[in-house]
Amino acid sequence: MNAKAEKIRVASIDPSYYQAVTDAIRTEAVKLLSEEAVVAVVGYLPGRRIGTAVPGLVTTPEQAQQLIFSPACVNNLSLYLTKAKKGVLKKGKVAIIAKGCDLRALAGLMGESQVKKEDIYTIGIACAGVFGANSDRKGGLTEASIARKCRECTVHQPEGVDLLVGTLPELPQLTALEAQELARLEALTPEERWAYWKEQFSKCIRCLACRQVCPFCYCEQCLCDKNRPQALESSPRPAGNTAWHIVRAMHLAGRCGGCAECERVCPMDIPLNLLNRRMAMELKELYDYEASMVPQEKGPLTRYQEDDDQSFIK
Amino acid sequence: MSRIGVFVCHCGENISRTVDVERVAKEAGDIPGVAFSCDYKYMCSDPGQNLLKKAVADNNLDGVLVAACSPRMHEKTFRKAASAAGLNPYLCEMGNIREHCSWVHEDREEATAKASDIVKLMVERVKKGKSLAPITVPVTKKALVIGGGIAGIQAALDIADAGHQVVMVEREPSIGGHMAQLSETFPTLDCSQCIMTPKMVDVANHPNITLYTFAEIEKVEGYIGNFQVTVRKKARSVDESKCTGCGVCMTKCPKKKIPNEFDQGHGMRTAIYVPFPQAVPNTPVIDRQNCTMFQSGKCGVCQKVCGPGAVDFEQQDTLIVEPVGAIVVATGFKLYSIERQPEDSPIQGYGEFGYGTIPDIIDGMTFERLASASGPTGGKILRPSDGKEPKQVVFIQCVGSRAREKGISYCSKVCCMYTAKHTMLYHHKVHDGQAYVFYMDARTPGKGYDEFWRRAVEEEEAVYIRGMVSRMYQRGDKIVVMGSDTLVGVQVEIEADLVVMATAVQAQDGADLLAQKLGISYDKYNFYSEAHAKLKPVECATAGIYLAGACQGPKDIPDTVSQASAAAAKVMTLFAKDQLERDPVVAKVNEKYCVGCLACKKVCPYGAVEEREIRDRQGNLVKVVASVNPGVCGGCGTCQATCPSKSVELDGYTDEQIMAMIEAL
Repeated sequence: MNAKAEKIRVASIDPSYYQAVTDAIRTEAVKLLSEEAVVAVVGYLPGRRIGTAVPGLVTTPEQAQQLIFSPACVNNLSLYLTKAKKGVLKKGKVAIIAKGCDLRALAGLMGESQVKKEDIYTIGIACAGVFGANSDRKGGLTEASIARKCRECTVHQPEGVDLLVGTLPELPQLTALEAQELARLEALTPEERWAYWKEQFSKCIRCLACRQVCPFCYCEQCLCDKNRPQALESSPRPAGNTAWHIVRAMHLAGRCGGCAECERVCPMDIPLNLLNRRMAMELKELYDYEASMVPQEKGPLTRYQEDDDQSFIK
Repeated sequence: MSRIGVFVCHCGENISRTVDVERVAKEAGDIPGVAFSCDYKYMCSDPGQNLLKKAVADNNLDGVLVAACSPRMHEKTFRKAASAAGLNPYLCEMGNIREHCSWVHEDREEATAKASDIVKLMVERVKKGKSLAPITVPVTKKALVIGGGIAGIQAALDIADAGHQVVMVEREPSIGGHMAQLSETFPTLDCSQCIMTPKMVDVANHPNITLYTFAEIEKVEGYIGNFQVTVRKKARSVDESKCTGCGVCMTKCPKKKIPNEFDQGHGMRTAIYVPFPQAVPNTPVIDRQNCTMFQSGKCGVCQKVCGPGAVDFEQQDTLIVEPVGAIVVATGFKLYSIERQPEDSPIQGYGEFGYGTIPDIIDGMTFERLASASGPTGGKILRPSDGKEPKQVVFIQCVGSRAREKGISYCSKVCCMYTAKHTMLYHHKVHDGQAYVFYMDARTPGKGYDEFWRRAVEEEEAVYIRGMVSRMYQRGDKIVVMGSDTLVGVQVEIEADLVVMATAVQAQDGADLLAQKLGISYDKYNFYSEAHAKLKPVECATAGIYLAGACQGPKDIPDTVSQASAAAAKVMTLFAKDQLERDPVVAKVNEKYCVGCLACKKVCPYGAVEEREIRDRQGNLVKVVASVNPGVCGGCGTCQATCPSKSVELDGYTDEQIMAMIEAL
């Protein structure tokens, strides 16, 4: 970014934008619930502390008045259609609030037969960005507090949703920190890069929060919990940690929507989204594939085309 | 504790030459769970198999490992022996210490260590093996023959005569292939058309043969005994059910100057045409690229003159699905071209011969058309540039073939013989002409072949010059051929009126794409690979698919016909049974852990995976899982590799077995 662009940076997003989105969500949710078009709305509710938000499931028009949207609405709600609230979908059609990155996960879940398009009603948000983990949330969304993934977001404007709410405010021009970091790692020698990741993985305590928060980790029994045969060591030691993170990256290749929830919830601050993004680059290069906001019939790794790259066959 | 028997084979000297088999057997005896181990010179022989049976009975073995050749070679043999000894055949495995070890290593110490390792890990696999029961599937007694040349025709007629239904698919508008283009055939000089066209008519009239010409294979699904083949019947623009073959359309078509492919571009045809008068079926096709009606929308003469109203400009491609039990691939060959190729192409043209720009340098097939009574010159040898009779003709063998610098190292097999034939045909038609042949060496194995070649040299006055041609160029109306005579040791320069090159035989265009659709393997020249060079020459490694003719490698007519009949015999053997017994190496879904992402369904090349709904007693949906149809599953294991939760496994190759094998090392 050049010096001039640095100067015209927008300091923070106007709070009226969030209020407008919140109002639109509430109006729609009340309408859907009172018309009984859906049995529940998966959205965000205010957290107990000021400036926070928590995922919430509302089932009555009265509760729907509590729904909000703010920079604290970080969670990828599509998770709640697969894991914790799996029973929800059995009761009937559900509306869900989705940012662009969340929408890519939803599209992926539809492609993988986990969610049916006709079972959900998507309320897409024209999203300006959300808070990063551990950021100072005073003073709204600023360059200091915005999440790393949002600095180089390409999906501010959702596509293929049932309803789109919000109008994007003027967005700040931000340095792509993640891309810079990736480029830095790419420039290292393989030994240096290995040393970097070894150090990162050695921090892992195998809390598996990354797995629990990932919308794509919907398996009923995770491969890493299997013991006959045991695919990877379960205690937090370097070999097993490395194996786990490689398995995770590989299983997400061609599926990950880039919500970066894994990185947000990591208590040890392992830059997991760098791995996800590196795999995405690989898929772009090999199969010209990018995670999409509309469901695809087959992902890049479950599809065979005669012109697929076959240079790996020697 | 398991009681496993390990049998280490010497394979004559194939294994024992580089592997200390006695040591391997001794070390195997020390593996926990191995109750018996020995080595023997030929395990696959009768005494070898008896040794195995006796050891199973004497030692009460519950699993057998034969460390010998590839399982592709003898797995069936040893499983049969184990079964005769009362073991479940799937508790008998093979450790490949020949192809994977002795053949590829030289150091005896290291090869022995590797063989021991292979035995060690395979023992673990046998330990974790399960008894499996074979699966029976019905056989669709209908064969598909791809290609309507002499190979396809012979195979189709043989299968149809045995009483089975045959579907023949030919890419061109007529069957007949290259053989229909030939003038006379070696070594008897009988007219190719006279022996070929009756067979073509037989195909058309055979009650058991369904013929699709101007059609291509779109998709192949299924497996041996139960293929589903989708055929794309290209729009012919002529309704075959109405056309009487009167030919008025062709005589009236105003576009008359299109080079005829059948005559190698040396004759002319109309836009609505049959490739040659003896074509089967005798139904014209409209060449839409060259038809005025299709290009500018104005003409339609053929439609106006067609009595039965068969011409249909609106006709579309149609897709036909045919269930078949076996497939014979007989797609034939094409000839190498000396034209300039892109820099990065693995096969290069001949710049020294002018890259095909000199009109009187022709290939062998063009000469066949010139010599043919039905050809563009009515059988007179007249050169393309000015239609004069050439008095000096130079024939060059091995153009492209055996030319590593051009990218082809194999011998095309038929050129020595057909060049000898060409010199004779030329001599018979131009009595005062002289034929010269540049050759590397004359390869004439075959019944009556060498006699034929000698006749060309000794009686028909062809001058054979042993040596290669380095350059050719046009000088006036002559072609200067510069070569060497390596027997005399001099440089030779001949002023020729016509040059005929025996160009290399190559696999058909698109052979690789068809192979990918069929799931069969091919070599770097796109020739299809047989399952075993000696013992399975007409079978593909993919069960139920057989090869006939030059698609497998350069071949002359007698060899092609023999191979086609052999392939037909294999198909008949398959069709002799109503039920086919299949290996039970199929995938199984662990429904408890399957989350129904159906990635397995997406990647399954056999279409064996379906969705299955699990419901509780009240009929409420509990979940959707993947389910494998064992009759359709080909046992490739792609699902197992794809499943993120490891909920699908291949019997005989379970994750547990594979992890145990890895851990044994």
